[in-house]
This record gives sequence, C-alpha cells and structure tokens, in this order.
Amino acid sequence: MADAPKEGVEVSLLLNNISFPLADFTLEVNVEIRSPITVIFGPSGSGKTSLLDLVAGLRRADSAFIQLGDEILTDTGKDVFVPARRRGIGYVPQDLALFPHLSVRQNLLYGHRPNGNKRFTFDHIVELLEIQPLVHRGVTRLSGGEKQRVALARALLTSPRLLLLDEPLANLDMQLKTRILPYLARVRDEFRVPILYVTHDRFETLSLADEMVALIKGKVAQIGPVQEVFSRPASLDVAGILTVETILPGRIIQTADDLVTVAVGNTMLAAVEPNLPPGTNDVHVCVRADDVILLKGADTPSSPRNHLPSSVRSVTREGTLMRVELDCGFRLAALLTRQACEELALKPGDRVVALVKAPNIHLIPR
Amino acid sequence: MSAEEWEIVWFTAWVSALSTVVILPFGLAVAWLLARHQWPGKSIIETLISLPLVMPPVATGLILLKMFGRRGAIGGFLHDTLNLDIVFTWRGVLIALGVMSFPLLVRSARVAFEEINPRLEQIARTMGAGEVRVFFTITAPLALRGILGGMILSFARALGEFGATIMVAGNIPGQTSTLSLSIFQSVQLGQDAYAFRLLGVSTVLAFIAVWTSEWLMRQRKGSK
Repeated sequence: MADAPKEGVEVSLLLNNISFPLADFTLEVNVEIRSPITVIFGPSGSGKTSLLDLVAGLRRADSAFIQLGDEILTDTGKDVFVPARRRGIGYVPQDLALFPHLSVRQNLLYGHRPNGNKRFTFDHIVELLEIQPLVHRGVTRLSGGEKQRVALARALLTSPRLLLLDEPLANLDMQLKTRILPYLARVRDEFRVPILYVTHDRFETLSLADEMVALIKGKVAQIGPVQEVFSRPASLDVAGILTVETILPGRIIQTADDLVTVAVGNTMLAAVEPNLPPGTNDVHVCVRADDVILLKGADTPSSPRNHLPSSVRSVTREGTLMRVELDCGFRLAALLTRQACEELALKPGDRVVALVKAPNIHLIPR
Repeated sequence: MSAEEWEIVWFTAWVSALSTVVILPFGLAVAWLLARHQWPGKSIIETLISLPLVMPPVATGLILLKMFGRRGAIGGFLHDTLNLDIVFTWRGVLIALGVMSFPLLVRSARVAFEEINPRLEQIARTMGAGEVRVFFTITAPLALRGILGGMILSFARALGEFGATIMVAGNIPGQTSTLSLSIFQSVQLGQDAYAFRLLGVSTVLAFIAVWTSEWLMRQRKGSK
C-alpha cells in the first residue's frame, strides 16, 4: 500500500461563491480543492457540516457554484442542481447513519454500483477494511470502531468520485482512533478518491491530510498545506482553533536579517519570521507544545536559540502523550512522550530548561 | 348467536378493515408530507384532518351526507357518470368509517416518520436511491410499527363508529347495519339479550385491537 501513488487524484473540487445563511452567520466559501485529503478544520458550529451538505446536494444554497472534475453539480446562477442521488459522492455523516433495520451486508450493498473498476468491488473493500467477520451481523450490534469501518465501506461501495467524511473519529477514544486511522490512510492511498475530511482534531489532521482549510464562523480563514498552516497560522483566530498551546503578547526588540528578537515580559525570545510586515512592533508569540524540548540538569550549549530556565507546574496525560505545564516567566506548555517523561522523572517543582528553535516561534502581528 | 348476528359482526369487521386499507395510502402520503416537508397551507390541512376527532360525529356525518348525496357535489357526479350511489349503501359506511378514522392513522404515522433520523434518508439518497426507493426501503420499514399501530387504532375506531355512519348510511338491515347501529336499535326495541350478545362481541374485538396496538408499542420501545 505504501507504494501506491499518493498524488494523482483524478478530480478536483471547485467551491465558488458559496453563500448559505446559517443561524448565527453566513457560510461563505471560495476554494479549489485538489489534494487527496483536504481537512476542513474548524470549531463546532463553524459551518463545516453545512458545507458538506451543500457539496453532497442535501441542502441548497442561495448562491453556489460547485464543480467536481468536469461536471457542474450546482450553479445557482444557471439554475443547475444535480440531485444528491446523481452526484456520485460518498458521504459518511458524523452519526454514520447506518440503516438500523438492515444487516451489515444489506447496508454495504444498499448503494453498491459495480462499475467494472476492481478497486471498488465488495470483496476488495470488505477485505481492506477487515469487516468480513461482521457482514452477517445487525448493525446495532457493532462496536463504535466497527460501525465506523462499515459506514466507510458502505460509502466506498458506491464507487464515489468524492468522499465526504464528517468527524469520522470524533466519537472514538484515543486508542480506537489510532486503530482506525490506518484504515483511513489505506483508503486514501488505495482508491485515489479525493476526500473532504471535517474535523477539529489536530492529531487526525496531521496524520492524514495534505491540505487544510481553516473555517471560522463560516469563512475560510486560511487554506494551505497542513504543516504550513500549523506552523504559520495566518491570524490569531486560526492559531486559536489549531490550539497552538502557547500564545503570548510580545514586543519586537530587534530585527536582524530574518532573526527577530522579541520580548515576552522580561524574557527575550529569538524567532525566524521573514514575512513580518515592516514596522510591526506588537505581536502574538505562538509556540506549539510539541515544539518544546525539555532538558534536565545543567544547561549545555545546543542548536536551539531559545533556552528558558523553567519550573514544572504540572504533568498530565493527554492521549498517548504527556502534557507538561511550565513556568519560565510566562506559562509554556510542552508535549512529551510518556517514555521521555518517565526518563526525566518529571514532577511539579522540578527545574528544567525548555528549548525552542527559533523557526518554531511564530509571530502574528497584533 | 344467530346467522343474522354473525352477519352483522362479519360486515362490521370487513368494512372496518377495508376502510383502513383504503385510507392507508392517503394517510401515509399526508403523514409523510406533514412530517418531512414545509408547504403553504400546511397548518390548515393539519387542522382539517384532525377535525373529525373533535367535531360531533353526527355533524361530520351531515357534511358527508350533503357531499355524497345524489344532489351533493361528489355524490351527484358519481351518480351521473358511474351510476354509483353512496348514501344509504355499504359504500356510505365505508366513507364514514374512513373519514372518522383517518386522523388517527395520520397522527400515528406522522409521529413514526418524525422519529426517523432524516440523515438516514439523506444518506440513502447520496447512495443513489430515488424518493420511492428511499420511502419503501428506509422510511416505511423504520416507521412500520407506528404505521401498524395507527392502522389498528383506525380499525378499532371504525368498529365502534356510530354518529357519522347513521347519518350517511342509515341502518338498513342486511345492508348497512354495523355492530354499533344494531346495538342501539335493539336497545330501542327492548331486545336486550340481543344487544348484550353484540356488546360481548364488540368488547372482544376492541380488546384484541387495543392489546395488539399496545404490544406493538412495547416492541418499538424495546427495539431501541
């Protein structure tokens, strides 16, 4: 599966001039989606599900132009609206919508369209998602992870041209998430169906997606490659929804080439920020917790520019990782593996040095 | 029980059953439209359909008598074109029973439709199913117990109908005599033993209907 091509998704999705009034705001979107998995990232109630519904043809917008590959699915200007059943779009909603009165097998075959493409055959999909043992059961007797795989398989069996996944892992615990993620990766690599993936989970986004669209209150706040959006949030709002753990007010002291010296309280930090508008003085300083390295014992020379003597405030478990809250003149969060945490024998009150590389300190003008 | 009494029981049972079957497609269509769609005049139609529940049955019967009589709008048309008489025939009984039990069917079916997660129907559509297939493979099976419950209630209501029936169909022995009409008439004529035998039969029929309906409701709760 690893050798399957990751690029070369056959169709692109164009969402233009979308305007769809929701209870508190209007969903307004203008994006072109080309990558294999695009995450629509946003807090609850930012219009993510409504956007999927518009793409699937389950709801009608006041204004919208939606094109999948060569086919125009919605064009309100020309009164074009292809009904949901003719769109060829697979949709796995958040509650999965498995038909409770049908068996797993009947669910799987409900929309099965054998189209001669052997990637989408029943046997292949059932094998790939390992649901052979479940086929004759009723769907109400499946576990959460099993339901998830059945819903995914059911959507794939319709030979979709586009797959919409609405928070597919939201109701699963961390352990189950890590077990389902590889299946999603298999689907991505195996079927070359473009996927729109709605989530507000960083872990899923970083594990699966190529591109992401940050959606805040119905508006696209940022779009770009996942790494870029995470390391360079375009605005404070985006940094907020990405849960960049540490966001502090800072003042620029000095700029030399790309290296910026910024003061946070009495602490000086070094940052690399080539795109700062000239004349910027006040900034938000963003540091992601997994970019913080901890060193116990004497501070030794090392490559990261920022060495911050700190004391440990608390150590808590966060999924498979440990979250360490530090006090280094300001509050700083670090995410470590449990092994690392045990080796350092971290406990509240310990003295440590927090290391952060300058390129990992991101500045947003305020 | 005499042959004549059995005939009354039999007639009442089958005309009630037939009325339930006849109103079923209309009742489901109306219930579905009320449960799943917004349309102008919806609240008016909702109210009109429920009117027979609260109006005096005799008043409903009078309206039907005027509509379906030979000089009425519908009755006149049916008489002139199809030579079909409604009033004072078994067809009159059928129409009276149907109209009186229609709201009960619509209410039960509507609640059953509303309980279905609309996402199920939507996702079925994204899988290529048209409206008819969605209805028969998703909506109707999931609402089945509610629909059956509504049919039983309608049937039970029809079994006991009196006021509308006597207005539209009279009480013609061997033609339009139902259980309730016969009980009333026999009491009027002082034939108490006869009335009590029919009373016994009505009680048994009503008991079976209500018990079955309750059983279905329990099944529905149990399956969740």
